[in-house]
Amino acid sequence: MKKMYWVIFLAFISMTWISPGHAAKTPYKIGVNLELTGPWAEITKTLKNGMVMEVEKINAKGGINGRPLELVFEDNGFDVGRAAANMTKFTRDKEILLVVGPFEDNLQATTRAIAEREKITNLIICPSNPMVRGLKQQWAFNIAQSDIIVSQKLVDLSLARKYKKVLVFHGAWPLAQSLAENFKSFGEAKGIKVIISPETHKPIDIDMTPQLTKMKPIIQKEKVDAFYACTGGPPGPIITKNLRALGIKTPVLGTHAFGFGFIIALGGEAMEGVEFPAAKPVVFDQLDANDPVKPVNIDFDKRWKERYGTPSDQIAGYGYDITGLIEDALKRVKGKVTRASFRDAFENTKGFKGTHGIYQFSPTEHDGLSKKDMVFVRIEGGRFKRIQLPGAE
Amino acid sequence: MDIIQILPQLLSTGITFGAIYALVGLGFVTIARASQIINFAQGEFVMLGGMITFFLLNKIHLPYPLAALFAILIVVIIGFLLHLLVIYPLRKASLPILLMATLGASLFLSSASALLFGTLPKALPPFSARAPFEIGNISVSPQSLWVLVAAFLTLFSLYLLSHRTLLGKAMEASSTDPLGADLTGISRNLMIFLAFGVSAGIGSVAGIFITPIFYVSYHSGILIGLKGFIAAVLGGWGKHNGAILGGFALGVLESLSVAFIPSGYKDAIAFIVLLLILYIRPKGILGSPFIDSRRW
Repeated sequence: MKKMYWVIFLAFISMTWISPGHAAKTPYKIGVNLELTGPWAEITKTLKNGMVMEVEKINAKGGINGRPLELVFEDNGFDVGRAAANMTKFTRDKEILLVVGPFEDNLQATTRAIAEREKITNLIICPSNPMVRGLKQQWAFNIAQSDIIVSQKLVDLSLARKYKKVLVFHGAWPLAQSLAENFKSFGEAKGIKVIISPETHKPIDIDMTPQLTKMKPIIQKEKVDAFYACTGGPPGPIITKNLRALGIKTPVLGTHAFGFGFIIALGGEAMEGVEFPAAKPVVFDQLDANDPVKPVNIDFDKRWKERYGTPSDQIAGYGYDITGLIEDALKRVKGKVTRASFRDAFENTKGFKGTHGIYQFSPTEHDGLSKKDMVFVRIEGGRFKRIQLPGAE
Repeated sequence: MDIIQILPQLLSTGITFGAIYALVGLGFVTIARASQIINFAQGEFVMLGGMITFFLLNKIHLPYPLAALFAILIVVIIGFLLHLLVIYPLRKASLPILLMATLGASLFLSSASALLFGTLPKALPPFSARAPFEIGNISVSPQSLWVLVAAFLTLFSLYLLSHRTLLGKAMEASSTDPLGADLTGISRNLMIFLAFGVSAGIGSVAGIFITPIFYVSYHSGILIGLKGFIAAVLGGWGKHNGAILGGFALGVLESLSVAFIPSGYKDAIAFIVLLLILYIRPKGILGSPFIDSRRW
């Protein structure tokens, strides 16, 4: 009996070996390490759908250099341990060329470290924070808008609105902290007085009334011009709602993480008038006619609607951008495609037109987008409305 | 002083929270009185109340009151099913095993909700005009008053149930003296079955009333369930008025603590309070029928 298994096994091995076209059509394998379950499951599913749609499009055209792309998905369940395990698993698989993900700020440091040690490209969707940026890692790249450009853009917004004093209420996690600190340093260089409140909040806080109550006397005494809700996810609308319930009518500024439909739905009427710097896909139909990424977005949104029946969003846009950037880099690889040659090609990405903007990477710059790739958005009538502020674009 | 200025506002927030904790605590106590079981799926009833209302309101497009009513009914049925499928088959098992079973049920309910309704947080519209009004320098949102009304009505109907009806008395009897209840022909299993329904109902009411203030997501039941449990223990495990007192005490304490310590520790307050009760007065403020005070 045991012998028979061996025979079958050997026959199977030889079959795969002999099968024609084996060498010619080996796909480029891309590991995708995402939070497919857990609180962000719906958002990462959008990202997954975006990548799947784009990979199928590339493969239908015959792939890259005659070889198709293949996505290998692993769910990390919003857990650092599993994210690290998936990352290690991908690095051990010799066929995996690069790894995409994770999505959340608190998972990225781990996978970046593994990528650096194992020498494999790691594309991160979440903005880098100063801690990981300080490490000057060679193998990790950021697809999303960095905390620096978001803060710079927000300073421009505050200047255009003539805000003299801004109170910052930030979340107690690295990215929110660095957004607050960057806003303070860029803002004070331009003459805005930025007060960072010692009060913070956590992503799971369902009510900020106590913190805001404590800040209310400061808002009144200091005559603060704007209140910066430096956060992401559900706390954004909760803060705005609680502020309005406390009778504080100060204008609210947000981060780029406010650019989701569900944020407006959570905050309801309280979200009216909130302004923030946003990614271009949030308001792609309102971009200038000569904006280079407008046609990319329109084409992508059309295909997305045909396939999934819902409007596309900024996360779907990341799916397009990631896949496109990989295709672009693969086409530019000279000689044999290896993990190292792919990384070098990716680092030399110049002027790739995605949905979010024009990506430029270099040995010193691993955040692809710049301030030019963001627009100002105001929430009006339950929708995102692009606002143009003369002199601040 | 700044702190004196903000205290009234913090107090009013604390009372709203207290009402919520009291409702959740009551759900715990209702089941504990009938069966001595600690039902850790209590927080999931709260979550499901909000979630199902959201679904009926936005996907089936029922009018708001009808959606809320159906949501309560559905959650009560889930409560009954929880008893029939999880607790009843394990009726001969010891209490720790039942506790693990309810914990498992809680995970099941929250994961099922994630699969059915999605993982993004959801909010319900407020019940009435949303402009907050000011009393002195405290601003109060109308929805907070709704929460207080809901808490009061639930308490009143529970009071009527347990003191004015034979059914309520039978439920109490089966808890205080199981043997006596058996001898007088009260079906204890039926009483526990009914207690699960009542407790699910209380939980879902809490969920429906608080979702317009906060939001509901598939994992929001865990924390609120824990806080409700702490409230029930704080007031006196197994006493209705204990859960109410404990709920308001915890809510106010949590909210006022922000005036004195950094807000990052707000959630820790509840657990520090729990530890302190367990050290100093394990039977809670009002005393507990289940904990023999002579041992302490």
